[in-house]
Amino acid sequence: MTSLHDHTPVSAGETEYASFYVADALMGVSIGQVEEINHNLELTPVPHAPAWVRGVMNLRGAVVTVVDLRVVLGLEPTVITRKTCNVVVRSGSEQIAILADRVADVVRAPAREIEMPPANVAGNEERFFRGVYKLDRELLVILDIDAVLANDAALA
Amino acid sequence: MNDEQIIAEFVVESREHLAGIENQLLAIEAGGAQADLDLVNTVFRAVHSIKGAAGFLGLNSIGHLAHALENVLNLIRNRQLTPSSAATDALLHAADKLRGMIEDVDHSNSIDVTGQLEELQRITAGELPPGDAATSPAPPVETAAAVPAETPPCPVNVDLQTPASPEPPELLVPEKDRESDRQTSRGPAADSSIRVNVGVLDRLMNLAGELVLARNQLLQVVNATEHRTLSNVGSRLNQVTSELQETIMQTRLQTIGTVFNRFPRIVRDLTSALHKECQLTIDGQEVEVDKSILQAISDPLTHLVRNAVDHGIESPEARLKARKPPVGKIELRAFHQAGKVNIVVSDDGKGIDAARLREKAVARGILHPDQAHAMSDREALQLVFRPGFSTADRVTEVSGRGVGMDVVKTNIERLGGTVSIDTQPGVGTTFHVKLPLTLAIIPSLIVRCAGRRYAIPQTSIRELVRVKASEAASRIERIKRAQVFRLRGTLLPLVELSTALGISADPAAANAARAINIIVVEAGHLRYGLVVDGLCDSEEIVVKPLGRHMKGCACLAAATILGDGNVALILDISGIATHCQLAMPEEEASAAAALGNASEEKQSLLMFSNAPNEFFGIPMELVARIERVIVEQIDSVGGQQVLQYRGGTLPLLSLEEHVHCRPRAEKSKLYVVVFAAARREVGVLVPELLDIRAVPTQVDTDTFREPGIIGSLVYDKMTVRLVDLHELTRKAHPDWFNSQTVVPTAEGNVPRILLAEDSDFFRKQLVGFLESEGYEVEGCEDGAIAWETLRDAADRFDLVVTDIEMPNMNGIELTRRIRQEPRFESLPIIAVSSLAGEEDIRLGRQAGISEYHVKLDREQLLATVSRLTRNPARKAKNRSHV
Repeated sequence: MTSLHDHTPVSAGETEYASFYVADALMGVSIGQVEEINHNLELTPVPHAPAWVRGVMNLRGAVVTVVDLRVVLGLEPTVITRKTCNVVVRSGSEQIAILADRVADVVRAPAREIEMPPANVAGNEERFFRGVYKLDRELLVILDIDAVLANDAALA
Repeated sequence: MNDEQIIAEFVVESREHLAGIENQLLAIEAGGAQADLDLVNTVFRAVHSIKGAAGFLGLNSIGHLAHALENVLNLIRNRQLTPSSAATDALLHAADKLRGMIEDVDHSNSIDVTGQLEELQRITAGELPPGDAATSPAPPVETAAAVPAETPPCPVNVDLQTPASPEPPELLVPEKDRESDRQTSRGPAADSSIRVNVGVLDRLMNLAGELVLARNQLLQVVNATEHRTLSNVGSRLNQVTSELQETIMQTRLQTIGTVFNRFPRIVRDLTSALHKECQLTIDGQEVEVDKSILQAISDPLTHLVRNAVDHGIESPEARLKARKPPVGKIELRAFHQAGKVNIVVSDDGKGIDAARLREKAVARGILHPDQAHAMSDREALQLVFRPGFSTADRVTEVSGRGVGMDVVKTNIERLGGTVSIDTQPGVGTTFHVKLPLTLAIIPSLIVRCAGRRYAIPQTSIRELVRVKASEAASRIERIKRAQVFRLRGTLLPLVELSTALGISADPAAANAARAINIIVVEAGHLRYGLVVDGLCDSEEIVVKPLGRHMKGCACLAAATILGDGNVALILDISGIATHCQLAMPEEEASAAAALGNASEEKQSLLMFSNAPNEFFGIPMELVARIERVIVEQIDSVGGQQVLQYRGGTLPLLSLEEHVHCRPRAEKSKLYVVVFAAARREVGVLVPELLDIRAVPTQVDTDTFREPGIIGSLVYDKMTVRLVDLHELTRKAHPDWFNSQTVVPTAEGNVPRILLAEDSDFFRKQLVGFLESEGYEVEGCEDGAIAWETLRDAADRFDLVVTDIEMPNMNGIELTRRIRQEPRFESLPIIAVSSLAGEEDIRLGRQAGISEYHVKLDREQLLATVSRLTRNPARKAKNRSHV
C-alpha cells in the first residue's frame, strides 16, 4: 500500500492525482476516485471476458474485476512483474482494479494548467484522456476513468 | 422526533395500510351486494388513518383524495352502494394515485388529483355508467357523458354479478387470503416481530458470508493439525457458523404472496382490456422465498401470467365453440419440493401448437426445414424460449413489450432456476418454474480444469461418473463432431469444460491414458456430461456477483472465494449448453425410444455392505430413517435383538440370520436402517453404508433369489443383492403376519386385480406378492394391453393397479380411458410409481386415480388393496378429484 496523502493542504483549484506508469507513459487518476493501490496479483482469468479484462481478484471478500489498461489503450498485454500494481477505483456501484506497470507519486496540478493532449499522445485513444499536465521532465496524462471503463472500451 | 422522521414514519405506515388494498377492493367487488362488511371496514379504517395523519402533516392532496375514497367506502359500508365494476375501477385508480403520492410525499401537494376526485364524487353522487346504474342507490342523472373512457363494460366474471344473484362468485381472492389480508392490515404487526431495515439484513448476510469464508480458511488450517482442543473449537465454530448463516437467511425470507398479490389486479385489468373472461386461483401464498429471489422473479412471473391471459385463454366465444366454459381458468401455485421453490402457472386455454412453432421457426429462418422436421414436439416447444420468437400472430400491446419468453427463461436461469412447458393443444398450457430457496449461499462441487478451479452448483448435478482409461474407448463415441457417452443405455452428449471455456486443456489431463471424470448435469430438459480434469471438494460457497464487464460470459454465473482466498468462477450450466449449441443428439431420441421406458425406469437404492465385498441394496422409498447406534446400546431380549429407542422398543434384524451371507463386519458403531413392516417399525443392522444411487430396475431375479432377497443387479462392477424387507421381516417374525386375510367380495369371490406394469421385475414381484396374499392377479405389460384385457373382461376385475410410466399407453391415459366408460366409474385404481412428485400425483388424481403408492412399499399397497377391495361403499363413491 502506498500512502496517497501528505499533509500540505490542497489549495483551491488544485487537484491531486495518483500517478503510475503504463508502458513508458506517466498516467494519473484523480485521487478522489482511487480507493487503494495494492500489489495483490493473485488473478483468476475469466474465460470469454473481453480481452482487456485480465481477470478477477479477491479484494477483502469482494470479487473485483481487473482491467488491463495497456490492452484498453491498444498496447500489448501487461507483463506482470514484481512492480506491477492494481489501482483500485470506484466505478458506479463496483470496485475495479486497473493494472499499472509501476506506481509513482501523487501529483498536484492546478486546473488551469491542464492542457488538451498533444497530437502525439492522442490519436485513436484520445477519448480516454482528460488532458495533460507538464511536469519538469515528463508529461502526466490524466485519464478519464469512466471512458476507460465504459463497456464499449474494447471497440477502441 | 423531527418532521422528517414523522413523515418517514407516515410513509412506512401508509404503505402498510395500502399494501393489501387492491385485493381487498377486488374481494369487496366480488362480494357485490353481499360485500363483507368487516373487509369494507378494514379498508375504510386504513384510508381513514391515512387521511387523519395527512391532515395533521399538511399533506392536503393526500388528505383530500383519502377523504373522497372514504366517502365511497362509507356508502358501501352502509349498503347504500353496491360496489360495481366501474366503482371499483374508480376506487382502484384512487388507491393507485394515493400510493404514488405517498411514494413521492414531498411533492404530493403539487400532484393533480382532480381526475380521481371527480371520479369518486360522481360515484358518491350516484352518477354511474349505464349497466351499473341498476345497482346504484340513486337514479342516474347523466348517462353516456358520465362514462369514463377508460372503463369499458368489463367482461370479467365479477361483472356478471347483480344484486339479484344470491351467492358471491368464487372469485379472484380465495377466502383464506381475504382473511389474512384483513389481519395484516388491521394494525401494526404483532409484538413478536419488529421492523428492520433491509440494508441491515443485507449487511448481516454479507458478514455471515465473510464468516463462512473465514471459517472455511480456519478449518483448512485446523484440519492440518493434530491439536485436539483446537479441532474441538474448530468444529464448534463450524456448527455455530452454519446455524448463524441459516438463521440470518431465514430473516430474509418473505412469503411469495407479496408477489402473487399483484396478479388478481393484473388479470382483472387485462381480461377487461382484452374482452376475455378469466378466473384466477392462487395457491401457496405462504411459501417462503429469499427476498432477492422474490424481487427477481416478479417480472418473469408477471410475463407468464400476462401471456396466459393474452395468448393462452381464448375469447369467450371461441371457448364456447370449443365446448369449454366461457370463463377461462388461470392457476398460480407455489410449493416446496426437493429443496426448491416450485411455481406453476397454468391456464386452460388453447395450448401451444408444436407444428405451428416449427412453421414459424422455418418462416423466420431460425430453423432449417430439415431441422424442424427432425424435432420432437417437446424440443419444438423449447422454440418459444428463442430470442425473437413470438407465437402471437400480431404483437399485442399486452404481451408484446419487447420482453420475450427468452428473457423470462434467461432471468429464471440466472437465478439458478429452470422453466419448463407442458401443453396440450386445446386443453391448456402449464409453465413450471423451479427456483432455489436462496441465492446467497449454495452447495457446490469444486472441480479442476486446466489448472484452475471452478464451482458447479449441486442443484444442477445429477451424478458423477468416472470412466476408466481402459473403458473410455468403448463408452465414449463420436457422432459427427459431437462426443457422446453411453450411460445405462442412453447417449449423453459430452462437453469438455476446457473447450467450452476456450482455454487450453491441461496437457497432463489430455493424456489419453487417464481416467475421465464426467459430471452429469441437467439444465431444463437437457442433460449432458461435463468433462473435467478432476474433482475437489463439495463446499457451501458464497455467491459473489461478477462485475459488469463480464455480463457477456454466458458460461459463468458468478464467482466465489475459496478457502485459500482465491477466486473460483461458478459455472452456468445452461449457459454452457447454449454456448456449445448442445441439442439432444439426434440418435439419442431414437436410442431412448428403442430401449423403451422399461430401461429408463430408475429406483433409488441405498447400498451397503454387510461384510467386505458383499453388497446389498434397499429401495430408498422404504427407508423411514437411518440411525447411528453404539453396539453396546443393542439389547438382547429372548433371543431377539432390540434397541431401546424413542421411548419404545425397536426390533432389529441381522441379515446373516435370514439370508445366505457372511456375518456382519465387527464395528463399534452400526447404522440402523429403519423401515415399516407389518404395521410396526423394524430396523436392519448395517455396518457400512456405501452410497445412494438411482439405478435401473433391470434385476436378475434368478441367480441370487431366496426368501428375503428379490434378486441382484450389477452396479459399477459390484453385484448388489436387493433386500426384500417385507419377506425378511416375515421370515424373522411369521407371527406378525396373520391378520391380513383376503376378504371375499360381496359376490363371494376372491377379489381379482388387474395389474399394468411394464417392468418385468416389478410385475413379477407384485403378481407374486399379491397372489401370496390370496388375490387373483392378472399382469399386463403395458397400459394398452391392460385396457384391452379390462374392456373385454367386463366385470371380472375388482381393482386396477397401474404403473404410471409405460410404453404404448401410460397409466394416466389408461385411467382416463377407464373413467370414460360409465361401467368402470367406480372401479378403484391404484397407481404405483417409483418417483411420485406432487405434480404427478395431482395429474393422476385429475385423471381419476384413487390412490397413489410408491413402488415396493408393499405394506402400504397391501393395506390399500385390502381396504379398496373390501369397502362395500366403493360402488357409490371412490373417485377422488382435486
